[in-house]
Amino acid sequence: MITRRDILKLGGLTLSVMLMPDGYRILKAQEVPKRYAPNLWLNLSRDNYLTVFVNKSEMGQGVYTGLPMIVAEELDFPWERVRVRPAPAGKPYVDPKMGIQLTGGSTSVRNMYETLRLVGASMREMLVSSASKSLGVPREKISAKGGYIRVGEKSYAYGEFVDLAMKEPIPSKPRLKEEREFVYIGKSLPRLDVPEKVEGKALFGIDVFEEGMVYAVVERPPYFGAKPMKVQVEEAKKLPEVVDIFPISTGVAVCAQSFWACQKARERLRVEWSESFVKGWDDGDFERYFMQKLREKGDVVKVLGSPQRSFEESPIKIEEVYIQPYLYHATMEPMTCLAWVKKDECVVYAPTQSQTWTLEVAKRISGLPESRIKVITTYLGGGFGRKANVEFVAEALEISKRLGKPVKLIYTREDDIKSGYFRPYSATLLRVGADKEGNLKTLSFKIAVQPLLGGRASVEGVENIPYSIPNLYVERVDVELPVSSWFWRSVGSTHNAFSVETIIDRVAHASKKDPVELRLSLLRENPVARRVVQTAAERAGWGKPKMGEAMGIAYHFSFGSHVCHVAEVSLDKKTGQIKVHRVVTVIDVGPVVVHPDLIRSQVEGSVAMGLSMALKEQVKFKGGGVENTNFHTYGLLTADEMPQVEVHILTSKRPMGGVGEPALPPTAPAVANALLWGYGIKVNRLPMTPEYIKTLL
Amino acid sequence: MVKEFSLRINGKSYKVRAFEDEPLLWVIRERLRLTGTKFGCGMGVCGACTVLVDRKTTRSCLLPVKDAVGKEITTVEGIPSNHPLKKAWIEHQVPQCGYCQTGQLMEAYALLLENPKPTRQQIVERLSSHLCRCGTYNRIIRAVEAVSRGGKA
Repeated sequence: MITRRDILKLGGLTLSVMLMPDGYRILKAQEVPKRYAPNLWLNLSRDNYLTVFVNKSEMGQGVYTGLPMIVAEELDFPWERVRVRPAPAGKPYVDPKMGIQLTGGSTSVRNMYETLRLVGASMREMLVSSASKSLGVPREKISAKGGYIRVGEKSYAYGEFVDLAMKEPIPSKPRLKEEREFVYIGKSLPRLDVPEKVEGKALFGIDVFEEGMVYAVVERPPYFGAKPMKVQVEEAKKLPEVVDIFPISTGVAVCAQSFWACQKARERLRVEWSESFVKGWDDGDFERYFMQKLREKGDVVKVLGSPQRSFEESPIKIEEVYIQPYLYHATMEPMTCLAWVKKDECVVYAPTQSQTWTLEVAKRISGLPESRIKVITTYLGGGFGRKANVEFVAEALEISKRLGKPVKLIYTREDDIKSGYFRPYSATLLRVGADKEGNLKTLSFKIAVQPLLGGRASVEGVENIPYSIPNLYVERVDVELPVSSWFWRSVGSTHNAFSVETIIDRVAHASKKDPVELRLSLLRENPVARRVVQTAAERAGWGKPKMGEAMGIAYHFSFGSHVCHVAEVSLDKKTGQIKVHRVVTVIDVGPVVVHPDLIRSQVEGSVAMGLSMALKEQVKFKGGGVENTNFHTYGLLTADEMPQVEVHILTSKRPMGGVGEPALPPTAPAVANALLWGYGIKVNRLPMTPEYIKTLL
Repeated sequence: MVKEFSLRINGKSYKVRAFEDEPLLWVIRERLRLTGTKFGCGMGVCGACTVLVDRKTTRSCLLPVKDAVGKEITTVEGIPSNHPLKKAWIEHQVPQCGYCQTGQLMEAYALLLENPKPTRQQIVERLSSHLCRCGTYNRIIRAVEAVSRGGKA
């Protein structure tokens, strides 16, 4: 937590944002009422440097650039003098729209845009007012641009006025720039995090050290849902550097003065684990269980028209069952955290996507009030949703509390895979009905899946499908299993876009209708989405592959953005090996493109992760535990498998859309659809491994 | 089992106590705190821990520290900031999360030492032994290609 004293030490003009019952209010940090914690958002120093405290986690998506840029825009301040620091954890820093401090759901720019513009504009007005007074020049004759106050020929750095500006009242309604006045928004400014990442100097979670710290690893159960029953530690404790070994909530903690000593000690550990419901389950058992659940009655989420009757009366009827596996996030930085529970203070350094949830576990485990807890967010070596789960933070806290020392917990890759929190497994039954011309009249969707977000994620992208389908039925069966599941980049849309977008092409195929035409007609009531599909088809040169043998298209709306991919694909029929040559993609992000290159890189990355999921990824089970142990058995997409990706960005007048996730869901179905049209292959399972594809040929 | 080792890293000498079989990675990053070298998999598959040992790329997670004694070790901290590769990485805005990037950069650095003008195909082949979950592959390749064309490395 930043204290009042820290703020005074900073000097300069410091603005806070207070979350009041009536919404956000901007204050000078020095004026924040005593009963509130000061919350620093922005500091302009006397030597003209701007520091922006960002309340979102940087995990590669570019928030340490995109968010400060919005402030710098309204303040009109030189980019090379902008610094960024992670905001602490605490109520003042919650996302105004979510009510918690969480980086997820492709919301950072969408949710922070207005607030950050207001803070930047307020500071600018205060500088102009104070300059006007001190120079004795009317406001109209003053311009504030590029970090300088300009009066005629003369210019003064903003920093010269910070002490006077501090005495100015906060403007109640600062003037925001018109779009045509923008100097940064719409431009690809250099990322602020890139230089230190290239130098190897960026501080990730795993890079934190504390005097006297102890390393810890946690030995985890061989199958989900088990707890340690008996632990034999004598042999392990004989090794040098070993500090202590004891059971914790999730397994057995092995603590030593070095990571390597932890590893050596755990080899000598003997643990007996409790029984579990899924003990002994292999992949086939999961499939049988989900198929059985799919036959049970679930919750009907949506009904439009008369889906059952219209399906039965349809001249073209297609019914398919889809099976999609658990997926592992595979952040390149495994879960890791440094925690120190002292008597009267608790410090946590974590690569966390949720400061609020990190604070909550710290409060629960340390027993200390929020004011005694300090959470420092490091860079995240990948997040993809996984690091919004804070079980790894809780483990570090639990171990530190027991030892009374700072503890650096590191998951090995094997621990990381074993620890679960996967994209959930799903079985989906889809029934579609169309007339003879291939006009889709009925879509009936039923999914059996472990629920996330109270079940909303299960039907994401279907319940709110932008297609005009007169008869729609959406049902979900909630599955409970001890295998932990969690948000995986683009969440429910990962599985639903695949099943729905591939069955759309089955209809087109069966009725000999062009899949682009079919989508355009289904989007007849949604001109924004129509334009996205149309533009993708045009840019890709629909129907005439340039690099591959076949083309496939898929469209999906998620996280507020419309995305359409056209994939060019070739299949080696002898080996079953798929090659994706090129993906042309169009994204409509709504009214504003803040930083085009950040959008491009997020889309490129989403295509890579989407292809990885489409072609390679599957968490496999043996004995109720994860069979994959490391990257040799859980393969990710590699450079030689990466297609050319062409990104086209569109805007439209509607609420802002997100960028981090929406380009992932349409990737797998675009590839599968290319296989349908090019090779007559119907893919109902992922991943499309050569072994699986060969069974379809 | 815990012994003192003398290592030479980025032209500097270090004395460090470690287990004989302790991988160089953990000695470099945790005991000596040169944290630019990252842990990713511990079995030489992902490439995040790549360093140069006597000018050859080495997965430091697999090399026992005792076998690194007497050799010249180079980590990302040993590549000057104005090196064309580092500049190209910034110019092409390659990193996203950045965690794998130092390993990628070390691989590219070693490739250019062996062959200052690799073709695109050679670059792709060489870097396909490294994983990047953010999917920055095309930018990595573009950055290395730019240096290859520029000729200096």
